Amino acid sequence: MEPRIEVERFTIPMGPQHPALKEPGRFRITVEGEIVTQAVVRLGYAHRGIEKAAESRNWIRNQYLFERICGICSHIHATAYCLGVERLAGVEVPPRAQVIRVLVAELERIHSHLLWLGVAGHEAGFDTLFMYSWRDREAIMDVLEALTGNRVNYSANVLGGVKCDVDDALRDAILKAVDVLEKRTHHYLKVVTTDALFLQRTRGIGVMTRSQAEVLGAVGPTARASGVARDVRVEAPYAAYSSFPVQIVVDARGDLEARVVVRMRELFECYRLVREILDHLPTGEVRGRMPRRVPEGETVSRVEAPRGELFYFLKSNGSDTPERVRVRTPTICNMTSVVRLVVGHQLADVPMILAGIDPCFSCNDRVIDVDRVGRSPEQWTWEQLRAHGVDTYHGHRP
Amino acid sequence: MPSPDEILDIVTELAERWTWKMETRRPESNRIDVLLPSAADLVPFVVGLRVQRLGYLSTITGLDAGAEAGQLELLYHFCPGSTVITLRLKLPREGGRVPTLTEIIPSAESSEREVREMFGVTFDGLRNPDPLYLPDDWPAGLYPLRKDFKGNGRLKLA
Repeated sequence: MEPRIEVERFTIPMGPQHPALKEPGRFRITVEGEIVTQAVVRLGYAHRGIEKAAESRNWIRNQYLFERICGICSHIHATAYCLGVERLAGVEVPPRAQVIRVLVAELERIHSHLLWLGVAGHEAGFDTLFMYSWRDREAIMDVLEALTGNRVNYSANVLGGVKCDVDDALRDAILKAVDVLEKRTHHYLKVVTTDALFLQRTRGIGVMTRSQAEVLGAVGPTARASGVARDVRVEAPYAAYSSFPVQIVVDARGDLEARVVVRMRELFECYRLVREILDHLPTGEVRGRMPRRVPEGETVSRVEAPRGELFYFLKSNGSDTPERVRVRTPTICNMTSVVRLVVGHQLADVPMILAGIDPCFSCNDRVIDVDRVGRSPEQWTWEQLRAHGVDTYHGHRP
Repeated sequence: MPSPDEILDIVTELAERWTWKMETRRPESNRIDVLLPSAADLVPFVVGLRVQRLGYLSTITGLDAGAEAGQLELLYHFCPGSTVITLRLKLPREGGRVPTLTEIIPSAESSEREVREMFGVTFDGLRNPDPLYLPDDWPAGLYPLRKDFKGNGRLKLA
């Protein structure tokens, strides 16, 4: 008879302070030895009450509020919101504006996927990849800044159109950045599919089959890496995607490697699309007129964020503020898959599998704490903040 | 995947040839709303959608009509292809109960937990009792996305 080894069961907390990347979320992971037997997730650490706050702001202010749900994919939030509100108001958006929206959305996807590649490299213990991909990502950040005036929260959208336009100098700058990045992406794709150490962390890890992906409701690159051809840009083209069709990128393998490869191959699709847009940019206005009040009605606006389907439900009561705005971000759909997929894997693979869905906790958690301004001891004035921060270090504290 | 028109036809037929006729509406060209008469119709109808392979649940939206109306509404948004099928179910504001969908659609859990804590709807059979977004010490019976919730500073919560 073989000797029985008593396996002890431990519960290990991961988070709430950055479980894999620098955002808050808490995982309670039960392990037997090294093997995970159960995982429970607790969210809400970045819950800011945005859906509630939207009900007390007018339609125009809300665009800037929703843009701040996420710092990485801010443009796509504003796009989903604007497309919905414009449909409710019956406003015709000039074609050039719709195309520029798509252009910014694809540039944003490039920066988001490159950022994610760095995070994945970092989680795999491959910090060189992290540093190189984030260095290259700066090329796109510079382009976004030149185009919109901001590196993040670009506010390219306004209700009724966009606020920025592309001139020839900018066009050349974007094309140059895209050329450089395309070369680099070929290199990265080769690295992530051939580097033996990286493959040990990705190949065959966190496998999600097609039926699992469908049952767990996965979206975006996570679903496409499991062979589910789900992409809102293809299924229900919005803005200018019907004039600039997207080739869907699918990989049936379902492991972490597939998730990396799908995102890398999507980058090539982004580069192709950006070039095509810049070659065929329609002329004309970039802004239409937008009424302050929006007629009564309801609409659904779905767009493809870098992480998957982003869903907005808008209800207007005919006034200048919305009656209800519901936001469903892609991360919450993919989070269900994480807690199922980690079971049976080694504890050390958990951060990697979590990073594999490209989670965005700020997107995830949204909605409460409407404090009275200035009354709470937790709210500081600008002077207090400065006294505590900058001025302390410069030695001239008042 | 059937074409958008075919999807709309299938859903219309499912709803109108139900054991009893259910009202449908077409608010936009790609959307169809099905008005569910009672909470008991929810699970059978969702099974019907799943059988037709139209059962990708995007999310559940809660709507509060305000304290005077005394009514909540749940919108179950199914998004196959480019169409949006919305099942609309009216519930009383106090003590509203619906069966859970998690046995048919496991990914419904997050949406149901969110609606539960934000609107105070009970989902029968929803096993996870933890709050999803709200803090563990959030007071019972306080539902932030209801219209009469006007915010309460953190200090009051102790």
